Amino acid sequence: MNGRPLTIEVSRLSKRYGPVAAVRDLSFTVEPGVVTGFLGPNGAGKTTTMRMLTGLVSPTSGTATIGGRPYRRLRQPSRAVGAVFDASAFHPGHTARDHLRVYAAMGGYPDGRVTELLELLDLAGAADRRTHGFSTGMRQRLTLATALLGDPRVLLLDEPSNGLDPEGVRWLRGFLRRLADEGRTVLISSHVLHEMQQLVDDVVVIRRGELVAAGPWSQLAGPPAVLVRSPDADRLITALHGHRVETVEPGRLRVHGLDAPAVAGLAARHQVRVHELVAENTSLEELFLDLTSDKAATP
Amino acid sequence: MNLLRAEFRRLLATRMWRGLLLAAALLGGGLMGAMALVGPQNFSPPMPGLDTGTGVRSLLGFLGYTAFVPAAVGALAVTSEYRHRTAAVTFLFAPRRGQVLAAKLAAFGGAGLAYGVILAGTAAGALFGVAAIRGISLGLPTGTVLGLLARVGLAMVVFLLIGVGVGALLRNQVAALSVVIGYLYLGEPLLMMIPGVNRLYPVLPGGATAALTDFTYLADAISQEVGSTAVHLLPPAGGALLLTAYALTAALLATILTLRRDIT
Ligand SMILES: Nc1ncnc2c1ncn2[C@@H]1O[C@H](COP(=O)(O)OP(=O)(O)OP(=O)(O)O)[C@@H](O)[C@H]1O
Ligand SMILES: [Mg+2]
Repeated sequence: MNGRPLTIEVSRLSKRYGPVAAVRDLSFTVEPGVVTGFLGPNGAGKTTTMRMLTGLVSPTSGTATIGGRPYRRLRQPSRAVGAVFDASAFHPGHTARDHLRVYAAMGGYPDGRVTELLELLDLAGAADRRTHGFSTGMRQRLTLATALLGDPRVLLLDEPSNGLDPEGVRWLRGFLRRLADEGRTVLISSHVLHEMQQLVDDVVVIRRGELVAAGPWSQLAGPPAVLVRSPDADRLITALHGHRVETVEPGRLRVHGLDAPAVAGLAARHQVRVHELVAENTSLEELFLDLTSDKAATP
Repeated sequence: MNLLRAEFRRLLATRMWRGLLLAAALLGGGLMGAMALVGPQNFSPPMPGLDTGTGVRSLLGFLGYTAFVPAAVGALAVTSEYRHRTAAVTFLFAPRRGQVLAAKLAAFGGAGLAYGVILAGTAAGALFGVAAIRGISLGLPTGTVLGLLARVGLAMVVFLLIGVGVGALLRNQVAALSVVIGYLYLGEPLLMMIPGVNRLYPVLPGGATAALTDFTYLADAISQEVGSTAVHLLPPAGGALLLTAYALTAALLATILTLRRDIT
């Protein structure tokens, strides 16, 4: 990594497409050295925000800066930021090496860097094949290689795990973790949450273009839920009136907002039999559903 | 400078590049050779033979009509950046979009020049070769023929750049190709059949190209039809200026619009 770490700052950012408010008054920061997940359901405005961060889309109002500068004012943007938007952005008639050589020339990097990246991303064997025959995983790695040409301090990936098999996802996780550990700023958007679970340190959650939550995900996770197995599930639900209770399957409930002793106490008072009581840490998926559901948005 | 190097690399790495040079040789040597072998006096309708100045000019004029080929290539190359979504990658590496377009124009100017030189060179070979074999002495001095061929070659550069401009403007591959080929190959000749509109011929791209070689075939046909006043082509220099103005306008419009547009 070359130079000091860079922080991403988004401040009161908005974008309208005609009648559609894609992003509304959005503010958050992304810190170096950690992997930040940028989460939100389809159409939440993730891609639009990331395109504004990189100067591809002009904001209607507000600012987005990287290390204090708007993208278009960065001196050597590809040294500061590597961004991937489309999993497959190359001319089908170009070989992997051709493609990288075009952008190496554009960024002013030597051809040796191309060879290095082909090896780093395990593409050396396919370097001289035309890209139209590439598999999804190879395409993914070639777009990553392109973004990494300038050894950038910030990495922005829009839905990087789309279409990857579990093996590919695991590899990507390890790769991004290493980059963050080197002190880089890593922001990855996704709506496929279980793939992000073991990867992200921080999260920024948006919904309908607005910020819903931001911070270290361990803090956002909030009070744990409790899994209860009971032959008297119906009566337990009545007893838990006022709390959020899901029926996982007949006879199994997930109780939110209470810890295990509280559930046990309630059950005892109402003389409900309980066969099993397991404290459960909120998964990212639940957190996400919690935060982006309509109920959460209108407190 | 980096941008220019990148655009040349992009161009040279595709198979289209070899196709382009092959097309230049086929259209230059092949088409010219075939036309000269048949002889304009055997065209239908018959035209003056190769031993007359008009005959030689008409062959060079027909060569000018192949300008839609480099124009289509320019449009194809630029729109493929949008089609294959590399435009966003390019603007990530080079957010100054004006410079990107300038580098593209310069690179394609070079490609157009290569195309024009091959086209004119092979056409010259074919024309002089056929004349020598059939023992015809051409109706124009050698120097004049070479000068006219050089003009045709330069016109190809300009048309390639017009294609680049239209492509950058429209971004959609099918649309840009339809416009470029449709207009140059079909649209303009069709327009010329509309009375009144055909008076505009001299200032349209095709008329300006014809002016370069003083190829009055179509202009004369229109004059006959219009009847009253003859339609006159611009002088060659005027044609050259007008063509350049078309290319510049397309490039300028494309640049201005590209600067502000969202890449989504
Ligand atoms: N070019 C555009 N023109 C008009 N509307 C657009 C455009 N791009 C995005 N939008 C709209 O803006 C909103 C946000 O879209 P965006 O692509 O940023 O969402 P996203 O969070 O990336 O969604 P996904 O998870 O589906 O990728 C959507 O309602 C979308 O329809
Ligand atoms: Mg998206």
